[in-house]
Amino acid sequence: MADAREARAGPGTAADRGRRLRAGVSSHVRAFVRTPINVVLLVALPVVMVEGYGMAMEAFPSLPFLDAGRMVEMGRVNGAVYTVAFFAGVLGLFQVISALQADERLRICGYSRAELFASRLVTVVLGTLVITLVSLAVLGWSTPVEAPVAAFGGLALAGLIYGLIGMLVGAVLPRALEGSLVIVFVVDADDFLSSGMLDLDAAILNAFPLHFPHQLFRDAVFDGTVAAGDAFGGLAYLLIVLVVVSVLYIRLTGDGGVAA
Amino acid sequence: MSVDRAETADAEVDPRGDDDPTDAPVLRASGLEKTYGTRLPLPFTRTVEVLDGADVAIYPGEIVGIVGENGSGKSTLMKILVGALEADAGSVSREASIGWCPQEPRLYDRLTVRETFRLFGTAYGMDGAEIERVRDEYADRLGFDRFLDYRVDHLSGGNRQKVNLSIALLHDPDVLLLDEPYTGFDWETYLAFWELTEELTAAGTAIAIISHFVSERDRFDRILELADGTLSDVTGEDPTDHAGEDPRGVGANGGRP
Repeated sequence: MADAREARAGPGTAADRGRRLRAGVSSHVRAFVRTPINVVLLVALPVVMVEGYGMAMEAFPSLPFLDAGRMVEMGRVNGAVYTVAFFAGVLGLFQVISALQADERLRICGYSRAELFASRLVTVVLGTLVITLVSLAVLGWSTPVEAPVAAFGGLALAGLIYGLIGMLVGAVLPRALEGSLVIVFVVDADDFLSSGMLDLDAAILNAFPLHFPHQLFRDAVFDGTVAAGDAFGGLAYLLIVLVVVSVLYIRLTGDGGVAA
Repeated sequence: MSVDRAETADAEVDPRGDDDPTDAPVLRASGLEKTYGTRLPLPFTRTVEVLDGADVAIYPGEIVGIVGENGSGKSTLMKILVGALEADAGSVSREASIGWCPQEPRLYDRLTVRETFRLFGTAYGMDGAEIERVRDEYADRLGFDRFLDYRVDHLSGGNRQKVNLSIALLHDPDVLLLDEPYTGFDWETYLAFWELTEELTAAGTAIAIISHFVSERDRFDRILELADGTLSDVTGEDPTDHAGEDPRGVGANGGRP
């Protein structure tokens, strides 16, 4: 038995790390699917938000700064972006706070903090891709999407950025109610201000998480085009958020988690 | 705080009176200090000093009881020993693999028992066959074999605790740190637990148990009491001195879990 103990010591090979990552992701995905509210949100949220935003904009009074010809479609586009960003943000949040204590035990049993972060992140990415697909399908059912692949990319980018932000909020503020409120209000304000419906000319808006995803998604849906500057800007933004969040997450979830 | 895995126990006085130089502690901590307080400068908050220079050494094949009043810092000490919590000062030297059974089961509620073993076994670096073999052995001995396909959040408190304990034992660690491991156990499982600890210590496993039950004192090789932030050896002292420290002490139910 002593030999077996020695053989298991240390972080192991790349294959061992891959095995731990697969086991972690598999477990997190099972836990996600076994949470009924997640499944309900995956199906219902896109329908309610995409069509709800469309109906709301249809009833909106005519205002000089709004493009009256695309009001309903703009509402649906905003609803789709909101849905994906909100869902991914909440998913990221709950991936972190729902199991801080169990994750810490798993770390003591052999996972590194980077492996724990990676397994949570992969789960968030998978959930984001599913909600993106469902939201785009719901949007496409009522609104023509000129470039579906590019639209998927822009929408997924919104989700990935907010999934990471949700993980960060979970590490900084590991409480369900407070964390959810932060996600709701931040996504709502960001979606509104980045939507392009208002004729705003403030440089600060370029730094908003949904600035590039919104531009990419609107262009793909309405014009079927992809602006290289927006695409590179969005990917660079995602990369920066990924680096910042991974470093902060690993630091903040040490010592038994922030809440310890 | 420094954590040293390679440092040897040179020049240390064995508290058991055993002078065998090859019998070095498998887990040793010295000068541990820990104070809880907010990290933010908020008003109306206060700090709580839990550990104040606590020293402990645990040797192969011994079973050590850690006692103390509620809130004395026993669980904090154990978290620091295992590495789940950082001490403000002091050092921990871990010479061997550790199994930790926390007071509250830190498990994933929505995984089944079978999936839980697979995940933690993978974390320990075990292969699938080994995980299954050890899982089935403990499921049989502790009596939760009927619940392997139940989700953890669907288990009773006692069965959850059995899984909690078995996860700590899964990789056959050199040191076991158990924080009130038998909470919720029925009498048969309680006896099976002590039978298991005897087998493990006979095989050389070091075990430290946080316990409130005065009637268990005879089961321990040494008893360490945590009071005022420090540990002192109270082995052989009158157990009635500590009987009133917890309502579940000997006066309440004869020491049964």
